Amino acid sequence: MSRYMTEPEPEHIATLIHVLVRWHRAWAPIQEMGPTVMGTFTITYQTHVFSILPPEFSKGFKELIAYTFQVTSPDTCPDWLTKLFPCQGKSPRPDLGLWMTFDELGLTERYESLILSVCYERIETHITETCSKVWDQQMLQPMRSWMSDVIIPWLITPYAREARTADEAAILMRSVGSRLDYHVCKTFADLRTNELFDIIIDFPDSKPALEDLKDCLQRVDQRSHLVQSLRKSNRRRLLHPGADTKLILTQYVSIIRCLRIVDPQGVLLFKVADPIRRYLRDRPDTIRCIVASLVGDGESGDSLVDENEPIQPLQQAQFDDYTDHKWEPEPIDAGPEFRTNKPSDIISTLISIYDSQELFVKELQVLLAQRLLAIKDGNFDRERRNIEILKIRFGEAALQVCEVMLKDMTDSKRTDQHIQAQKRSDMHPTVISRHFWPPLQTNTFVMPGQFRQIQEDYAREFSLFKPDKKLVWMSHLGSINLELELDDRTVGAEVPPLEAAFIELTSRVDEWTVAELIAKIGSIERPAALKALTTWVELGVLKEDTPDRYRLLKVAEAANSNSKASGKQPTAAVDELPPVQTVQQQQAEQMRVFWKFIEGMLKNLGQLPLDRIQQMLKFAPDYNRNIDQLAAFMEAARREGLVAVNNGMWKLQK
Amino acid sequence: MEQISPVAAARGSQKSTASGASAESSGSVTKRLSQELMNLMMTSPPGISAFPKSDANLFEWAGTIEGAAGTIYSGLTFKISITFPPNYPYVAPTIKFDSPCFHPNVDIVGGAICLDILQDKWSAVYSVQTILLSLQSLLGEPNNASPLNPDAASLWNKPDEYKVQLMKHYRPISDEGSA
Repeated sequence: MSRYMTEPEPEHIATLIHVLVRWHRAWAPIQEMGPTVMGTFTITYQTHVFSILPPEFSKGFKELIAYTFQVTSPDTCPDWLTKLFPCQGKSPRPDLGLWMTFDELGLTERYESLILSVCYERIETHITETCSKVWDQQMLQPMRSWMSDVIIPWLITPYAREARTADEAAILMRSVGSRLDYHVCKTFADLRTNELFDIIIDFPDSKPALEDLKDCLQRVDQRSHLVQSLRKSNRRRLLHPGADTKLILTQYVSIIRCLRIVDPQGVLLFKVADPIRRYLRDRPDTIRCIVASLVGDGESGDSLVDENEPIQPLQQAQFDDYTDHKWEPEPIDAGPEFRTNKPSDIISTLISIYDSQELFVKELQVLLAQRLLAIKDGNFDRERRNIEILKIRFGEAALQVCEVMLKDMTDSKRTDQHIQAQKRSDMHPTVISRHFWPPLQTNTFVMPGQFRQIQEDYAREFSLFKPDKKLVWMSHLGSINLELELDDRTVGAEVPPLEAAFIELTSRVDEWTVAELIAKIGSIERPAALKALTTWVELGVLKEDTPDRYRLLKVAEAANSNSKASGKQPTAAVDELPPVQTVQQQQAEQMRVFWKFIEGMLKNLGQLPLDRIQQMLKFAPDYNRNIDQLAAFMEAARREGLVAVNNGMWKLQK
Repeated sequence: MEQISPVAAARGSQKSTASGASAESSGSVTKRLSQELMNLMMTSPPGISAFPKSDANLFEWAGTIEGAAGTIYSGLTFKISITFPPNYPYVAPTIKFDSPCFHPNVDIVGGAICLDILQDKWSAVYSVQTILLSLQSLLGEPNNASPLNPDAASLWNKPDEYKVQLMKHYRPISDEGSA
């Protein structure tokens, strides 16, 4: 034993056992004394041996057993093993002698758990080695056959040596075999559970791995473990500020698809999805992302929705159909709040993150407005198609506003044709119904000079055509195709209206300061003005002589600025997206209004309790918050130091 | 050659909403008052403010006026109450000071105010906001020709004594308020 401790080699343990068995045989009473004496001797001998064996022995013994895995044929068998434990007769396995010796000493019986644990470890390493990261094929079946090809034959030596036929061996092996099979499944399930997050990322390539997992879960009860582990990795890897909302949504959709495979009943999904849904609800741009994928951003390509999936109306929560003959009880691990949503499609699931569809429709309007205003060639077929698809989902009524918006676009085309026929105009306005469009950002300025003239002419014709309506110009939207005739050159450009307004002003007076320009045009912000001026500077039309002072270059300046200008086509001149107020901006704007009212009432009425504030806010237009939202808002205001609260009475902080 | 295609907004035809509003006169008064409240809240001019006293009655408002900087009333705050008649804005609202205000045109006991636009010069184009602004400027520039408070009028040209009297009557606004 001491030799083993200095030099941990299975060989020394084998030698020790060899010595033990030699003593055993030497001291054994002769056969004639009968089985009773034999038995007593064996027990006494074993008791003594086991009591003096140091704790390290079990470790060594285990290693020895593990070692026997390698000796499957006489060729691989080391000499010491055959020498120490010669086997009688012909044996297919060279370690038979060793196992017989174990039996003789009672070691098999005593260390049975140890022997099995060797098997378990063997299974675990094998599965981990062969199956990790292999998700594109089903691995469970190969693993099981590996077990019956490798582990079972090895086990036959210790357990079913006496069996003469295969059937007999099978009977002897049954209990051990099923235990091992369970262990294979469990190890496999553990492995896949730990990998699940990445498997989901790989979906649909990793579908076989999911099928495996499904089979495993039927055999072993690891479902709650799976939920825990997936929730944990979701929290660690997905639900943090660094992750893009679109990514989270994509992963969520994958999770839905994957867990439907693993657990068609949807209990696992329900449990895993809950934190994700709650997290998504708190993200400000979730709705926007979902809506964007609904209308299918042509550019991004990877839409959340499977193109092949039939479009169906949104499904409301279903109730049990008591006449359904195929009804099955909910799985036992389903919580009380569990709701099956078996056949509902992905989009319905996503939309059900929120309590109402209203938010989606609002966001949809904003998105549609942006897209419609961005269209320049007058081809609205794509948008029309999108709206038709969405109508199937949300219903006609919800999308009526969108319908009006689309109609505005086609109407204004028709109106324009009519007016052009009456009086040619260079302008082709889009007439939108303010009532039905989301609020557009207003920084309306007055177009100067000829543009103003064109607008007025057009408005006159319009009022003849539609006497009950009046045009309000939103000069900051749209774009203008300009051709500037300068002394030595002509410059063509398509620019936003503000740029055009500035250049129109310079056609009369050559030099302007920024402040003068702004004063002339009215209600624009300085950064916007500077941006517009930069466009012209880049085109080589204007020059900033001294800071804040711009001069029209009637004759092109030195070659360097000219070449720079010609090299740079006016690509960035036109705004990328029309400035429609997002839903968030609208809400922030509303909140600002409500705050004014709160300020007003607290100032004039002294301190007020929360419910009074809530009641008084009905004076504010479109006030629709509930008292909890108000409480949260007031709490935020308190943190800002705007108000103070004392005994439930709120008052303004002086 | 230039091509312009800006977007113009046209008011959608709103025939249905227009017919409902003028049906009842009290409805239109309420509408006018809510509109004035909205305007007042959104512009929130410095030093003046007002708000309905309760959510049930839009005709009773409480207001606050701060003395304009540079006047003898600078730094002082006065509470007023405004009562609108049912036929507002054709008839002026009744306004009185809730806090005692030592001023030539204000009754120190009852709080009544002598201001031409609140009496014979009233016009429907005035609003709560213009009334409040007028009151604020009245504080700094009293009309000593028709005093409600002769003592104040006589002291007006002696700022030091005036201030003493003013502070003797002035009561700062407490949080308990009139709510």
